[in-house]
Amino acid sequence: MNRQEVIEKIKGVIFDCFPDMAGTELTEESVINTETAIDSMGFVLIICKLEALFDVRIPERQWQKLLTLGDVADAIMKRLPKA
Amino acid sequence: MRFESFRHLLSYWAEQTPDRAALRYEGQSYSFAALWQAVQEKAAVLRAGGKSCLGVLCDGSLDCVVTIFAANLAGLQLVLLDENAPEALLGALIAYTDIDALWGDEDLTEALEPCLTGGVKDGAGRILFFTSGTTERSKAVVLTDHSLCQSAYNGSAKLPLSPEDTLLCLLPLGHVFGFVCGLLWGLSCGACVALGRGARHYIDDCAFYRPTAVSVVPLLLGFLIQQRCVNPELKLVLVGAGDCPAPLLAAATAMGIRVSFGYGLTETSSGVAISVRGDPFAMEICPDDTITLAEDGEILIEAPTCIMQGYYKRPDATAAVLRDGVLHTGDLGYLDADRKLHITGRKKDMLVLPDGTKIFLPEYEARLMKGLGHTELAVTLKDGRPLLVYSGEADKAALLEALKPLMAELPRGQQLKDILITDEPLPRTATGKIKRWELQQKVGLA
Repeated sequence: MNRQEVIEKIKGVIFDCFPDMAGTELTEESVINTETAIDSMGFVLIICKLEALFDVRIPERQWQKLLTLGDVADAIMKRLPKA
Repeated sequence: MRFESFRHLLSYWAEQTPDRAALRYEGQSYSFAALWQAVQEKAAVLRAGGKSCLGVLCDGSLDCVVTIFAANLAGLQLVLLDENAPEALLGALIAYTDIDALWGDEDLTEALEPCLTGGVKDGAGRILFFTSGTTERSKAVVLTDHSLCQSAYNGSAKLPLSPEDTLLCLLPLGHVFGFVCGLLWGLSCGACVALGRGARHYIDDCAFYRPTAVSVVPLLLGFLIQQRCVNPELKLVLVGAGDCPAPLLAAATAMGIRVSFGYGLTETSSGVAISVRGDPFAMEICPDDTITLAEDGEILIEAPTCIMQGYYKRPDATAAVLRDGVLHTGDLGYLDADRKLHITGRKKDMLVLPDGTKIFLPEYEARLMKGLGHTELAVTLKDGRPLLVYSGEADKAALLEALKPLMAELPRGQQLKDILITDEPLPRTATGKIKRWELQQKVGLA
């Protein structure tokens, strides 16, 4: 799976969890905390769904460092099994 | 049941109900007898280790709980740390509290090893908790197993659990509310405590453990309700460490859950007032505590059995809030005709967030000023999250970019939600202090 596919899947999870955000333009640079309606518990929800979707585990200590959509994609890409 | 110490509590239940489940974590469990045995064995190991102050990087596991009780039993000074705090901050806290040994995640303890100190003399019995919203200026509050047990008694006198109950412990043990109301409350009542498996399991811990009671902060209650994670057996939710919106309470009540609201501080070993019946915001004062109000409405607490010994190595800070045995809380409230306590706001330069953590505004704003090279700014709350009010001309995207490194160092709940740029000056007093209430009104958030 390439990076763009991962980002599209992340967006899908965000829109699933927060239907009010449907149609919002999200890019790799979008800062999750300031450019979306996602609070800290919402972030937990998204990460849990992403971990299940991609079958990866991102250590909780890393979560607060994931500021942008691109950061989340990096964290997932790093843990995906190599093709 | 009132216990004098952890030893008293654990040995009592080990004798009374040895085979009853005391702790559960994932598929593992300890009976009260097994827990007491494990604590004594670990205490012997710690005694033999010759260390004086143990820092526990709390991960909420069975071994973590055993280590906490064992370190106290072994006569070590004990410091409870949040394992998810940034490493640099943990290093500073280790130095400040004289930690000479660490327990926790292997990689993290190894990384923090260079920060260890030569230890402490006369630390036996002390248990140090950091005030909520750990920052570099955070103060360590000196409590004891005695004060924590009295606090648990206070809570259980108002909200008793039975040995048939299962209390779900979702909150970090490094915070006094989580430790007392998530762990000690249940154990004091001889109930089983199910240890939450971390944030990623907030969504399924209720289904996994089937608890009958849980202690939460408002943000977590909102999550459990919105995501419909609540199990049918859950009958009691204790909410503390922050303001709880009325609609959230109403939603929980509509699901058949009894919601109680607690008020307390780290300095009082957790709760001093709890709502028991009727209006959830009208809290009855706990048996050991006396609450009075200063002329300006500040809540003053006398809690001889639960009050802190002081802030660790900060006699100046202790003297500022603890005078003649009376704690000056900085919180504002009133007592109604039935002597029930209602909280109305904060007197100090502090924001209380829905996740229970606090932001010390002067420090937070100083970091923003440094990051942006601009002094005309202030922080207030919008929808329960920090909003930066920036006075002057600026580009919002550029400000957000400049603040990225700083935001990455902060817990998610404390990261800025938004920036409001205004060409109006910030409202200030004659001495230059920001008029916080006026600021909030001015930006239309009051």
